[in-house]
Amino acid sequence: MLMRRKVFSYGAFLLAFAMIAAACGDSEPAAPPETVVVTETSIVTETSVVTSIVTETVVAENPLAGTTVTVFGPESSDTEAGAFQAALDLFAAANDMTISYTGARDFSDQINVQVAGGNPPDIGILPQPGKLADFARSGDLVALPDAVTDLVQSTTPEGLWSLGNVDGVQYGIPTKADLKSLVWYRPALFTEKGYAVPTSWDELNTLTDTMIANGDTPWCVGIDSGGGATGWPFTDWTEDLMLRFHGGDVYDQWVMGPNNGGIGFADDRVVQVFDAIRNLWDKPSGTYAAGGTIATTLFGDNAPPLEDGTCLMHRQANFFASFFPAETVYGPEGVDVFYFPPVTADIQPVLGGGVFPVAFQDRPEVLAVMEYMATSDYANARQRLQKLANGGAADTVSGFLSPHLEADKSLWTPLEQSFLDILAKAELFRFDGSDNMPTPVNAEFWRSATAFVNGDIDAATATANIDANWP
Amino acid sequence: MDRVISTLIGVIAAVVGSGIIFIGANKLFDVAPRRWSWFTSLLGGLTGLFVFAILWANRVIASPVIWTLVATIIGTGVGYLLGSLTDTRARLVVGAAGGAVLGLIVGLNMRDVILVFGEGNNQFQVGTPIPNINYGELALWTAIGLAVGAAIWAVRGRSKPIARSLALWGTIGWAIGAFGMPDLNTASRENAILGATVLGLGLGAAAGLGTVPDAIRLRRIETGSRKYIFLTPALFFIAASLVVPTIRTFWLSFLDGRGEEAVGFANYSSVFTDANIIDVSNWTGIFGSRMFIGGLIVIALGVILAKLAGTRRGDAFEFGPGTMTPVVLGVFLVSFAVFATLRGTIINNLWWVFTVTSVATALGLAVAVLADRSKRENLAKSIIFMPMAISFVGAGIIWRFMYIARPPQREQTGVLNSLWVWLGQVSNSGTGKTVAAAVLLLLILGLAYFGFAGYRDGNRGMAIGSAVTALPLAWLIYKFLGPGLGGFAVVEATGNIQSQPIQFTSERPFNNIWLMVVLIWIQTGFTMVIFSAAIKAVPGELIEAAHVDGATESQTFWRVTIPQIAPTIGVVVTTLVVTVMKVFDIVRVMTAGNFDTNVIANEMYDKAFTEFNFGVGSALAMILFLAILPIMYYNIRRMQKAAV
Repeated sequence: MLMRRKVFSYGAFLLAFAMIAAACGDSEPAAPPETVVVTETSIVTETSVVTSIVTETVVAENPLAGTTVTVFGPESSDTEAGAFQAALDLFAAANDMTISYTGARDFSDQINVQVAGGNPPDIGILPQPGKLADFARSGDLVALPDAVTDLVQSTTPEGLWSLGNVDGVQYGIPTKADLKSLVWYRPALFTEKGYAVPTSWDELNTLTDTMIANGDTPWCVGIDSGGGATGWPFTDWTEDLMLRFHGGDVYDQWVMGPNNGGIGFADDRVVQVFDAIRNLWDKPSGTYAAGGTIATTLFGDNAPPLEDGTCLMHRQANFFASFFPAETVYGPEGVDVFYFPPVTADIQPVLGGGVFPVAFQDRPEVLAVMEYMATSDYANARQRLQKLANGGAADTVSGFLSPHLEADKSLWTPLEQSFLDILAKAELFRFDGSDNMPTPVNAEFWRSATAFVNGDIDAATATANIDANWP
Repeated sequence: MDRVISTLIGVIAAVVGSGIIFIGANKLFDVAPRRWSWFTSLLGGLTGLFVFAILWANRVIASPVIWTLVATIIGTGVGYLLGSLTDTRARLVVGAAGGAVLGLIVGLNMRDVILVFGEGNNQFQVGTPIPNINYGELALWTAIGLAVGAAIWAVRGRSKPIARSLALWGTIGWAIGAFGMPDLNTASRENAILGATVLGLGLGAAAGLGTVPDAIRLRRIETGSRKYIFLTPALFFIAASLVVPTIRTFWLSFLDGRGEEAVGFANYSSVFTDANIIDVSNWTGIFGSRMFIGGLIVIALGVILAKLAGTRRGDAFEFGPGTMTPVVLGVFLVSFAVFATLRGTIINNLWWVFTVTSVATALGLAVAVLADRSKRENLAKSIIFMPMAISFVGAGIIWRFMYIARPPQREQTGVLNSLWVWLGQVSNSGTGKTVAAAVLLLLILGLAYFGFAGYRDGNRGMAIGSAVTALPLAWLIYKFLGPGLGGFAVVEATGNIQSQPIQFTSERPFNNIWLMVVLIWIQTGFTMVIFSAAIKAVPGELIEAAHVDGATESQTFWRVTIPQIAPTIGVVVTTLVVTVMKVFDIVRVMTAGNFDTNVIANEMYDKAFTEFNFGVGSALAMILFLAILPIMYYNIRRMQKAAV
């Protein structure tokens, strides 16, 4: 019997050994923690409409058949990630290939891990032009082919595509634009309680005080992002107010940084903005934070209290629409937005954001998917599918805005078209500044903002901490 | 499904393959002492096979299969002859000729074209391996090789023939001179043949100059080979997964953020000057904190008690639950005061190590002792052991739900906060607090009875324990009837009563403690199991003897059991220290290092991957590694001693 047990333990040892060996050898890309399930219904209903557009371009002998492309990005809510995957699936189905999208909330960390580990995805969806430039300069990115570069530069606004262009070479495609200077609210509730939409920063403050005096909670705020990027909503507020208080030139100097001829965070004007935000958020009974405190409330968790009237206003970009439940009504009867008011009516600054798909691998199928994302077909398909996923009614705000100039505007509601108009015509448009700063500065901005919002440090300490990270 | 099947096939193939290699290696050395010539022929054949296979796989030789086969056959033949011939001259001829032929085959088949792989950006070239021999260098290196051979022969005590040492080392020198030095990428067939043939001839001759081993050496070969068979796979994996990464991390810690330029010790100095990582600037605040002063008083109290109790018995101090409790409590208070005043990642890590290690050890020991020989011992131990099965990430998420705080106007969904708010509701309602105070008073009366009984029976431990337990209950009554208890307060402006949840994860500095609770919850099961086994291994005669001598249960525990399990305590503590030092998952999941809860491992991840600074990240990794190293060393030494 002893002999048999010995043999068995040899076997167990060998099995474990081989499992480890097999696990090491398996070339399957490591799945990021949060995978996303595609909403099947949306594909089924919409495939027939959009495949017809895509299939026209497909030749008989398809070189893409049987290939696989992996895409990794930060959009991880069911609505956003589901619609994105579904839009990619249309192209994949038409070409008999496989495209798999994975979204992770901590994308900004994960992509660094993957690139550093020599195991990047085929395509990454970068929300930070600063990081895009870092990757491009270190040779991790593949330049777009000339044809795609021409397509991108002729069909998107220069203000956006230039952010995906490093030293004259186009790497990224602006596939999604976000309008950040928005405040979500419920018009019906405002009318009922007799509040008017504020048109200046002072009016906004007065309105906040009036609401508190009436026993209402004016704001919903949460800056938790579930990982390394916690704090980013504060950076958005800072950028919006920097633009409003100090104008575009000071904003640009601030993004440039103190060592490149700009200004640092310790500049009085930045500190002033930090304090202004805290003053607004920290008014007694002024802010509802679903997670107990602002710093521990996930930014997406602000949607339910806004919808049920617990709080009356929430400043967040247009993509916030995808966080509302599918049956949400948009427009005067449901949730709507107003423009985050300027200090004076003569300058109406607009803060924007967006994502830039970039190719990490130089394979024909990868570049084909990149080209697809540069077309209006992609923009239209994504909008149809995301609208469907977010409710599908005529007035549904999808949360997706395409900067593509040839996209079918009729697919967007009038409200969203006005967003696009604002984006296209803004006199003072700036891209998310912190995302344009070097990665260490951006990371410390998030970290110090979280500590500042939590009341652990004051504005002077926070700004000094951030300044220490400028290269 | 395809993936499952292919993985399964891969696993089976790997199991069978490693099994064959493993068993084959053992069998091979089983054969060695009995049939030496079989062993040598097998060895020769395998050498031919592997050498040619490797040369082909590395694109050194062109046509693979046929010549590999020929080499295997020649190797087998030469091996057989060398294993059976005893005549020195015949052995030399066979070895040299066989080696030369194999070398000639390699030389003739060396690839002379440049290979190109891939296309576009991914294109890379492989040059030919044929050397461009410089005869001066070749002669020089061969001479160096011969000199080394002579030197080794001299150092080894000149017991074996010098010719073998010269042949082996001369050939190594030749190989370096021919293939190691000059640039490759020529297509001179003569050079290829010359270089390879002499190399083969030399190695063959060296083999031929050996002798057939006698019985004693055969036995030694058989037994000596086993350790290598067993160790090689493990050593290979350790080298690949541990040694190489460590060296690389060490190297990276002296480079800049992207691992390009050397920066000396700048990364290390930036770690120790970063106020987020270590900040002891307000150390004077320690002495002002109430916790520090209170802790000192409690320690003094404990020491005085122990002194008094000890003198009565004739010892310097008495160690027992009654006297140890205040000392331990005081030490905790003082350490918390210190750790809560200083801040920074490293301080937090030390706090973790101190608290989790001591509490988990103490709790595990307590449970092991209390459960020992009780009725439902296995059930109780199973329940406490269960958290061990939960991953750190899972535990972090579970406890985040336990700790969650909701806004005051909502119902609390976190278990702890809903309890806290419920307490507040009780203490704010007239009947509620009366009932609560009455219940607490009953409990205190019960404890008072136990205290009296203990005093009457001379059981000091019971008396002091009851008194100590009653104190917090009395404090609770005071809180209930006086200022109020729990998360409920009157808002002065409106007069309304509002709940006040605790922000467990974001309220500094004690949010650290709430995170530590998670790890203690997991690790107590581990310590309990180890201690339980150790306690059961304490010889029953010792306990019995102590009882016969009139020792109480408590004295037996402190003076017999504890010294007996001291080595186990050492192992548990060191293991815990190592685990706690590298804690990462819990912090990452629960706070991501925000709110002053960062620890070194999370700081390392943040620096390396959020900020993309591999220099500082690697420096932090090295600091963690160096901090753990002595504890690991101590632990291993201890285990080695225990084994002896």
